[in-house]
Amino acid sequence: MSPLTVAVPTGRLLHDAVRLLERAGLHARGLGDDRRLLVDLEGGARVLLARPTDLLTYVEQGAADVGIVGRDMLLEQGRDVYELLDLGFGACRAVVALPEERAEQLWRPGHALRVATKYPRLTARYFEQVARPAEIVVLYGSVELAPLVGLADGIVDLVMTGRTLRENRLREVAEIAQSTARLVVNRSSLSRSRRTAELVATVRALCVQEAGRAGG
Amino acid sequence: MRIRRAERARWRQVPAGMRDQTAAEVAARRRAEERLRETFARWGYHEVATPAVEFYETFLHGAGPGVGDRLLKLVDADGEVLALRPEMTVPLARLAATRLLPGGEGPLRLAYVAPVFRGQERGSGRHREFTQAGVELIGAAGWRGDAEVIALAADALRAVGLTDAAISVGHAGFLRGLLATLPDGAAETARELLYRRAFAELEAAVPPGPALEALRSLPVLRGPTALARAELLAHAAESREALAALAAVLEGVEAHAPSVRVEVDLGLIRDFDYYSGIVFEAHGPAAGLPLLGGGRYDDLLARFGHPAPATGFAIGVDRVLDVLDCAPASRPTVAVRYEDQAYRQAVRVALVLRRAGLAVVALPDGAAGPLAACTVRVGPDTTVVSGAAGEVATAFDDVLVVVRAALETRA
Repeated sequence: MSPLTVAVPTGRLLHDAVRLLERAGLHARGLGDDRRLLVDLEGGARVLLARPTDLLTYVEQGAADVGIVGRDMLLEQGRDVYELLDLGFGACRAVVALPEERAEQLWRPGHALRVATKYPRLTARYFEQVARPAEIVVLYGSVELAPLVGLADGIVDLVMTGRTLRENRLREVAEIAQSTARLVVNRSSLSRSRRTAELVATVRALCVQEAGRAGG
Repeated sequence: MRIRRAERARWRQVPAGMRDQTAAEVAARRRAEERLRETFARWGYHEVATPAVEFYETFLHGAGPGVGDRLLKLVDADGEVLALRPEMTVPLARLAATRLLPGGEGPLRLAYVAPVFRGQERGSGRHREFTQAGVELIGAAGWRGDAEVIALAADALRAVGLTDAAISVGHAGFLRGLLATLPDGAAETARELLYRRAFAELEAAVPPGPALEALRSLPVLRGPTALARAELLAHAAESREALAALAAVLEGVEAHAPSVRVEVDLGLIRDFDYYSGIVFEAHGPAAGLPLLGGGRYDDLLARFGHPAPATGFAIGVDRVLDVLDCAPASRPTVAVRYEDQAYRQAVRVALVLRRAGLAVVALPDGAAGPLAACTVRVGPDTTVVSGAAGEVATAFDDVLVVVRAALETRA
């Protein structure tokens, strides 16, 4: 029997993801503190650390049984994995943002926007749906820079507090999607690996507990 | 304006998702394909072939507009839009409905082993050209047909050495019944979420009630108790009928092949939307993508003008080979080495050995050549066969006998 492999994303979801695994009985404390990317845990489980953009590839191809990933990545990449649980943490929104002083002028219907984003598919789908013409510039780093230097009219990006937008004099004009962290599972692991099913059940129970506490 | 990659770098590469195959890879593939062909033939399925390229419209007509994005398209000299086949079920349905069924007698048992193509696959590391081997049973309604193709699928996996594969079986009607109880808008959204397998998002899209409960439990409606648990969730008539049909098929498969591991999986949703009844997949010992998939598609043939119930499956030959990691038994090579003045004798020796079915390479003395199981050295006056057992001088007429003996000692 191969060990249970859980893929955990580096970056903004790491802390909460590790905390969740701890509560689910996988002792992953200290994960991400050093440079190890594959960490064996007690009891034959292991955790692999992956960039959020890569994580779904590991789960889809079966290199990991279970993963934790933002809904934004699921919407962008459209992979063949089971999205089973909304974990509640890592809340953020994907929005269209334009330079404050020109927002109204740029957002008028019929104006062909140049949009910089790390989410080309999500962005293209949105502009198709609202029937606005748009040209997409794909960037991998800080997209807020693009409108400041004239590379694009505006951006599509994730916002949590809106602080980055304000600091770069950008204003949200439309919300494209809301995102939280999700538990995703490889299709065949769910049927073939008992430990995967057990972990899903444990995390589901934790989520219900959490929701009960939040509701009460 | 797009900056193109330098042509100079391009010709070293093949397009993304395409690949070359070495002699060893091709040998392993051929062996697997031959075993699959043989298995299909033993079950009375006859291999047919269709063109790799068809009208774009054919695929849309068969598999629905959603398939358009997944096709590798091209435009011919007349401006006609063509597409490379993304799978074989639609081409075979077209072939059967337009040519084989009219005036013929059913049911048809068709098999194929053929490369298929995808325009852009979701996910990296996926192939855009790969081989599918499968069957279609056309003109047979009911559980016996489904049981036959599932048992054949298991037998085919066994034939290529996958004895520990597990087959998951579901039924599209169970889900259809659940969705039918929802208000129109919610049903459409739920269907879209389920195609994306976004179970976590159902709660926001579907009003609370028994249907939501059932939809949310789809991923866990699998295993030995799944049918019993599903009974409690199935309120729509169509869902209940689906469960009864599923039970009958499982019994049928069990009759065919008691040792095959078959598991109920009501959360199984296949990518192609022509499936109407039983759906199934098989998974290998390791996690990953399914090795084969199939199911019943009773409405597809009607789209091509000749209604007929049908069921079938396709094995991903490349995925099977990935799992098997089998080194093919290569046939031993005989090297015929010659001195320059003995060229004519040497190539005649080589011809005699080849006619007898051996793999022979003729080479000048000292030239680089393949690793040989046995070497025949041909000089102007002498012929010496050397193998594991030592060297034997022989006359031209006896070369074949001596070489065979040398190869046998090696074995």
